[in-house]
Amino acid sequence: MHIDLKREIKESSAGKTGLVILLIMVSIATLAPLIAPYDPCQQSISSLLSPSLSHWLGTNQVGQDIWSRLVFGARTSLLVGFGVGIVSTLLATIFGVSAALVGGLYDKVVMRVVDAFIVIPMVIVVILVAAYLKPSILILMLLLSLLGWQGGARILRAQALSLREKGHIAAARSFGAHRFYIARRHIVPDLGPILVVDFIYSIRRAVFMEAGLAFMGITDPTVVSWGMMMRDALSFSYLDIWQWWLIPTGVALSLTIVGLTFIGYAAEPVIEPRLRGAEVA
Amino acid sequence: MNLIVPFKIERKMLSKRNLVTYTIAFLLILALNFLLPRMMPGDPLTAIYGDEALIAMTPEFKAHLIERFALDQPLWNQFGAYLLALFQGELGYSYYYSAPVSAVILGRLPWTLLLVGTSLLLSTLLGIVLGIESGWRRGSKTDRALLTGLMSLNGFPDFFLGMVLLIIFGVTLHVFPLAGALTPYAGLSGLPLVLDVLRHLFLPVAALTLTYLAGTYLLTRNTMITVLREPYMLTARAKGLTQRVLKYRHAGRNSMLPVVTRTGIRVGRVVTGALFTELVFAYPGVGCLTYEALLTRDYPVIQGVFLIVAIFVLLANFVVDLFYPRLDPRVNSAY
Amino acid sequence: MLKIEGLSVSYGKSLVLNGIDLELGVGEALAVIGESGTGKTTLGLSIMRLVEGTVQGIIRFDGKDLLKLTDKEMRPIRWSRIAMVFQSVNNVLNPVHTILSQVAEPIIEHGLSSRKEAQNRAIELLSHFGLPQSCFAAYPHQLSSGEQQRGLIAMALANDPDLLILDEPLSSLDAINRADVGRLLKESATGHIMLVFTHDLATASRLADRVAVLYGGKIVEQGPAQDVLSRPRHPYTRALIRAYPNMTTVKDLQGIRGRMDGAISGCPFHPRCTQAIDICSREVPHLVSSQEHQVACHRGGIVTLLSTRNLTKSFGSLKAVDSVSLHIEGGETLALVGESSSGKTTLAKTIVGLYQLSEGAVYLEGAKVDSWRKDFYQSVQIVFQNPGESLSHRLSVLEAVVEPLDIQGIGTREEREHKAVQVLGEVELPQSREFLGKYPHQLSGGEAQRVAIARALVLEPKLLIADEPTTFLDASVQAKILKLLLNLQEQRGLSMLFITHDIALARKVSDRMAIMMGGKIIEEGPSSQIVVAPKQNYTKSLLDTASALRIDEPGAARFLISKER
Repeated sequence: MHIDLKREIKESSAGKTGLVILLIMVSIATLAPLIAPYDPCQQSISSLLSPSLSHWLGTNQVGQDIWSRLVFGARTSLLVGFGVGIVSTLLATIFGVSAALVGGLYDKVVMRVVDAFIVIPMVIVVILVAAYLKPSILILMLLLSLLGWQGGARILRAQALSLREKGHIAAARSFGAHRFYIARRHIVPDLGPILVVDFIYSIRRAVFMEAGLAFMGITDPTVVSWGMMMRDALSFSYLDIWQWWLIPTGVALSLTIVGLTFIGYAAEPVIEPRLRGAEVA
Repeated sequence: MNLIVPFKIERKMLSKRNLVTYTIAFLLILALNFLLPRMMPGDPLTAIYGDEALIAMTPEFKAHLIERFALDQPLWNQFGAYLLALFQGELGYSYYYSAPVSAVILGRLPWTLLLVGTSLLLSTLLGIVLGIESGWRRGSKTDRALLTGLMSLNGFPDFFLGMVLLIIFGVTLHVFPLAGALTPYAGLSGLPLVLDVLRHLFLPVAALTLTYLAGTYLLTRNTMITVLREPYMLTARAKGLTQRVLKYRHAGRNSMLPVVTRTGIRVGRVVTGALFTELVFAYPGVGCLTYEALLTRDYPVIQGVFLIVAIFVLLANFVVDLFYPRLDPRVNSAY
Repeated sequence: MLKIEGLSVSYGKSLVLNGIDLELGVGEALAVIGESGTGKTTLGLSIMRLVEGTVQGIIRFDGKDLLKLTDKEMRPIRWSRIAMVFQSVNNVLNPVHTILSQVAEPIIEHGLSSRKEAQNRAIELLSHFGLPQSCFAAYPHQLSSGEQQRGLIAMALANDPDLLILDEPLSSLDAINRADVGRLLKESATGHIMLVFTHDLATASRLADRVAVLYGGKIVEQGPAQDVLSRPRHPYTRALIRAYPNMTTVKDLQGIRGRMDGAISGCPFHPRCTQAIDICSREVPHLVSSQEHQVACHRGGIVTLLSTRNLTKSFGSLKAVDSVSLHIEGGETLALVGESSSGKTTLAKTIVGLYQLSEGAVYLEGAKVDSWRKDFYQSVQIVFQNPGESLSHRLSVLEAVVEPLDIQGIGTREEREHKAVQVLGEVELPQSREFLGKYPHQLSGGEAQRVAIARALVLEPKLLIADEPTTFLDASVQAKILKLLLNLQEQRGLSMLFITHDIALARKVSDRMAIMMGGKIIEEGPSSQIVVAPKQNYTKSLLDTASALRIDEPGAARFLISKER
């Protein structure tokens, strides 16, 4: 079954939209120092200002430029997202494929543990840990990765199990290939599309989690985060500030997540071909 | 995860989560709850109760606690004492609220349950119905509109959506109240009370439902598309059944299965979302409580919330797992 | 009750059904036979208006044209007046509902009974079709395919429809279930109209009185089941029967050359037909309705290639051939079985003109043969018993095979040699220079006979008369030669008059047999019939003394050899 993931995504309007959005966000994040006129963490006495030429989106309650914070917030979200995504998917692949290929007791044990983790809600664990540890961004990323790979592992294991039954694997085994070779040469490449989709959804989940936890006030306050910006904005909801403080931040966050959703959605027919043709406008 | 997975893979994934899984999960929760404070540097009592609480305690009380939780003894004994206390229903004492943690949490829990329950129910039902209708009309304007709309909606984090709703309907239009679950000091009862509760409940539920609607909808819709191609749909059409019967009894009944499988996971998500949403609407549930506890470093409350929420989600999953084979007769024999 | 006129269905550009005409009355059962891809499922579904493509024509049911009804008007008809029994495949029944509820459902939904009554009727039906009580509350995946099929039949009969359409109703069943379910179906069909779609000839003959053969979107033959299946008139039908393994036919299986293709102009079968003529590729033939048995063929069905009428050859007062009337059809093998003095070789030689006939006549493709000239020999050729004699020891292989072309003056030197080499390839002989230069005494018996056959084929005859062609050969070589002849028949549509004394051999190579004794044909008929139910005593004795492997005592086997050897 020859599938072209890139083509799938490019050909669907949802996929294209998603890619465009993501590209914009990545550009903003990369070019942050260039497009942000101020240091995002620099406080000043000119607080709660309305938008003006010197402050495009005004300032927050400690006089920080909102636009600059918005732009640097993109960095945080995307960094956390991609970082967690990579580690999550990697762990999911290692455990999922090994469980499928090794089988037996190892498989059973791994799957029980995986299922146990899936049932426990991630956020509440992070809250508990954060209450004690006051995590930096890196620790947070580690936590999210460790708690997020299990879903992907189940799906990858199931797919690997299906693949294992296929003819060319049996042929490779008849040539004397051992499991690692089979995993590397035959199974993981065929898992490509699912891996990509898993990766995208992991990023999405991580972006969402980071924003939500920052909203709760759990993350490192020295790091600029969209979630934290929204939390600050909420305290001032009785003022007009929400128009240029809350909305742009929320929209930026939502757009990022929507973009990722669209890409993931466009890539799904690759795995389930019968969905093809179910297009967004 | 939103990932729609093909039927044949889905079947392989349905390895029943049995008792072992739940036991492991339960133990993990307990272990985490137990170990975390005790692994912190410094005095375990501080870790468990927090600095501020400790200041207010008398030395005799501190000694009593140390003895109670065997804090000066090896870890195993501590774990034993911990479990003992737990099974007696004791979750600790909150100095901030001057009440046992269990009482504090129980006071807030009903509101969260109301919020979560309503949202879960609405998003599941609506999602399934919309998904069925959308899948049936695949490619039509209605379908595309719903698809675009709900997928975009899905991108909005629940707290942001909540904020937008609050600002539009609460602050600007003054249609709904801005905070709380009840109008304070109103002293209502009977029908007016119910209506009051509903008015306060409306926006938070709307925020949660709209956010989590998309998942159910997409899953149902996509399953519906696959189901409509199955041979038994042709058989059903040949039987001269009405559109309604075809859509719901035949196609729908099959399309809702993946959603039900994932209800357990969805409970986890909606509970998570509720935590955030309560903050936005100052809804006096467990989420708000957590936030307050984090601010005041009220560790016993945080631990208590963790335990209760985690176990609640565990139970919900367990119950769903019990009922699923009733809906999909293939599952029992498949394994 | 059901009349289909000019039904054509196309999906996009491909035309699946091309002008179907069928008629069925109450109490009749018709089987439409077709292999995969012929459009039979489409035909069944289009009657119920469940087909997605473009549909043209008229389907008249009980006076109304079904194709003119809206979907809403069609709904009350579905299942209550016309119902379909689907093939029992995976997921043909809804996996989340019990079989009982699915059988009761149409009764309830069409408002025919209350829920309770509907359930009772469903139980009745399921029991009637042999489903055990324990299965009633079962889900489809818990039933075997046999049980599922029974459930599907019960479900179809729930509303007592007038017309029952069945799509491969017995294919998923094992042989024993097939017999039982087939019987139940046939009983239930009384008073209804039954339309069966199947590729399986046994199912067709089991369930239906009439059959129609579907090929390339057209009905090519139609008639009473017994008639069509034992005496097929269309080349495709005959080929289909020949390809079908069953306990009745005795001849070895043969395939149909070529394969089914999509858009064909003219007769859909013509690329694979061995008797196609010019018009076949241009015009579509229609069913000619003479009597009950109809064929759609420009040549009127399988042609009669050669026939004799009261043919007599006397040597003085001795009638070696006594008033023989037989016929050989295109693409078939007629075996002429008789002992050494029966006159069979004389008959062969008379037909071929080596002896002059005394009385009677020979007809080739309908025209009487007055004189045996070159054109006759282009159509009829003969292969003799002894290749050692029939091949001149003076001529090399190439020269021998080229000889007929030389005599007839066909083509240039090169073309003749080329043709000869080609034919040698067909009879599976080497085409090397070295072999072409060999002389008969340098060849084995089998090789020599093949050369003789090649020589006979080089003129592309339509009829090959083979007079005891394998008597002088070893058994293993004989098997190969016979296989070769069967292949040639399959590929070229070659007719054969196979003359032999060995009825066991005749049985394996022939469609029909004629038993000859003392110059007369005493019995004639389909090989399968003669072998199983011979009418004449002589035939019976031939059968009794034929070579057979009989096991009398435990562990001991005796090989009985027929008298003449």
